[in-house]
Amino acid sequence: MSGYNLGVEDYTKQNSSKILKKIIFYTIAILVIFLSVYFIIILDTDWHRIGSGEGILKQLSYFVGLDFKIMPYLIKPAFETFLMACLGTMLGLIMSLPVAWLGAKNVTPLGMASFSFARMLMTISRSVHEIIWALIFVGAVGLGALPGILALAFRSVGFISKIISESIEGADKKPIEAIRAAGGSGFDVMYYGIIPQILPTVIGTIIFEWDINIRRSAVMGLVGAGGLGLAFFRQMHMSNYPGVTTVIMFIVGLILIGEVLSHYLRKRII
Amino acid sequence: MEQIYKRNNAKNFIFLSLFFFIIYLCFLYLGIDFYRFFSALGNFGKLIANRYYPVDIPYALEPGYLASILDSIQMGYLGLIIGVIVASILAYLAAANLTPSKRIGYPIGKFLIIFARSIHETIWTILFVTIVGFGMLAGTMALTMYCIGFFGKLFSEELENVDMKLVDTMRSNGANEMQVFAYGVWPQVKTAFTGILIYTWDVCFRASTIIGFFGAGGMGWYLKRNVLQLEYARTSAIILSIIVLVIFSEALSAYMRDKIYKETQ
Repeated sequence: MSGYNLGVEDYTKQNSSKILKKIIFYTIAILVIFLSVYFIIILDTDWHRIGSGEGILKQLSYFVGLDFKIMPYLIKPAFETFLMACLGTMLGLIMSLPVAWLGAKNVTPLGMASFSFARMLMTISRSVHEIIWALIFVGAVGLGALPGILALAFRSVGFISKIISESIEGADKKPIEAIRAAGGSGFDVMYYGIIPQILPTVIGTIIFEWDINIRRSAVMGLVGAGGLGLAFFRQMHMSNYPGVTTVIMFIVGLILIGEVLSHYLRKRII
Repeated sequence: MEQIYKRNNAKNFIFLSLFFFIIYLCFLYLGIDFYRFFSALGNFGKLIANRYYPVDIPYALEPGYLASILDSIQMGYLGLIIGVIVASILAYLAAANLTPSKRIGYPIGKFLIIFARSIHETIWTILFVTIVGFGMLAGTMALTMYCIGFFGKLFSEELENVDMKLVDTMRSNGANEMQVFAYGVWPQVKTAFTGILIYTWDVCFRASTIIGFFGAGGMGWYLKRNVLQLEYARTSAIILSIIVLVIFSEALSAYMRDKIYKETQ
């Protein structure tokens, strides 16, 4: 309550010290930013290559235009990318069910041990970028669509299982206790008590993840898994810049289709 | 009762078998060998155990690599700052209720945000590397585009949820566009802006660890070099260091967002 008894002078003093603190903070922040601009951008860039902006414009002009000749060869990879995203999401869902079961505090079987194990799996899955997952799986199972599917699945496990286990933890306890009191086993509790409650959230999450996975599966080809990423990689290495633009247009189109579909599906379900 | 149960079962059976048949067709179409698919997990475990396992931790503590971590961090926040400045303007244009011109500004803002979002950050990196050359300028530009997509979408959704009564009152009293933004909109979205900003920083840092793989500098460059040289122990050390840093940044961003939400309430 002492704040009300402050005089005008005290108040201005307090205010000025606050402003001073703010000024110091912002000066340091701006200094740090300028330092990193200097080191990262000015020192590190090959300005000779860029020239006087003319080089950039010239390079950009290569990308203008579409290569219609490669379009028929892009339909199969586009479909492949789409299927990779679908299968990857599905596999990710299947793998994330046990992880979510272990990672929910109220149903985990071994207490703290299994809970923290599942949380660790989720964190690892989320913090490794999809490109790294794809690299590892290309090393493990070879080239093709399979490492892409596995990488997408492993990457989605973290997000899907985190949402599922959080919704299991937030599920209404009354039906669960009723089933338990009536003599239901652990499976009965799961099947009749928890799953009907969490189903809408889970389906929404899966659609969301599927939408993101389309985006991700378009770059899987850059490190050796198939799909549009491989077509992009090839066009880039052949220096066929209009072809690169065409592939990017295909990717954007595919993602727009996915976005519209997921929007429509989510509206229908929720 | 029994009949319903039976019919339901038959329906379920048909549905399930159709589902598996479709998956089988997908596998055929993608040319995936079933043997390869089922031995994948075993191979993955073998690869981790035989190649990646003795993690070469001293490599991750070398000064050159530590400097590259610093580069990645700086690239992350430079991209974030430029991206957020651009994305805020675009989000203001792309918010259906606040946009100054519904005919021209709204579609342009929306399209640019969707376009920036739909291209993955690695593809942005490759494109910018071909335009401005190898180095961290390309990485910063790629992260800028990534931030425009990510931040723009979240922030424009936040702007669309603004309470319009205040804004309408100000407009009807003759406030201009700047005043409406400064006194009507900004106080409402300030908290959300900071929260989204911190979240975007987290995601952007995560992206900045990998974009070096395609020619922008930072940790990704070390990753690429060691992957190409088949130095598995060093690769696993780098991956491990990325995991640690990402967990750290995630915890930091969660803590800061928590603090800000608590301070404002």
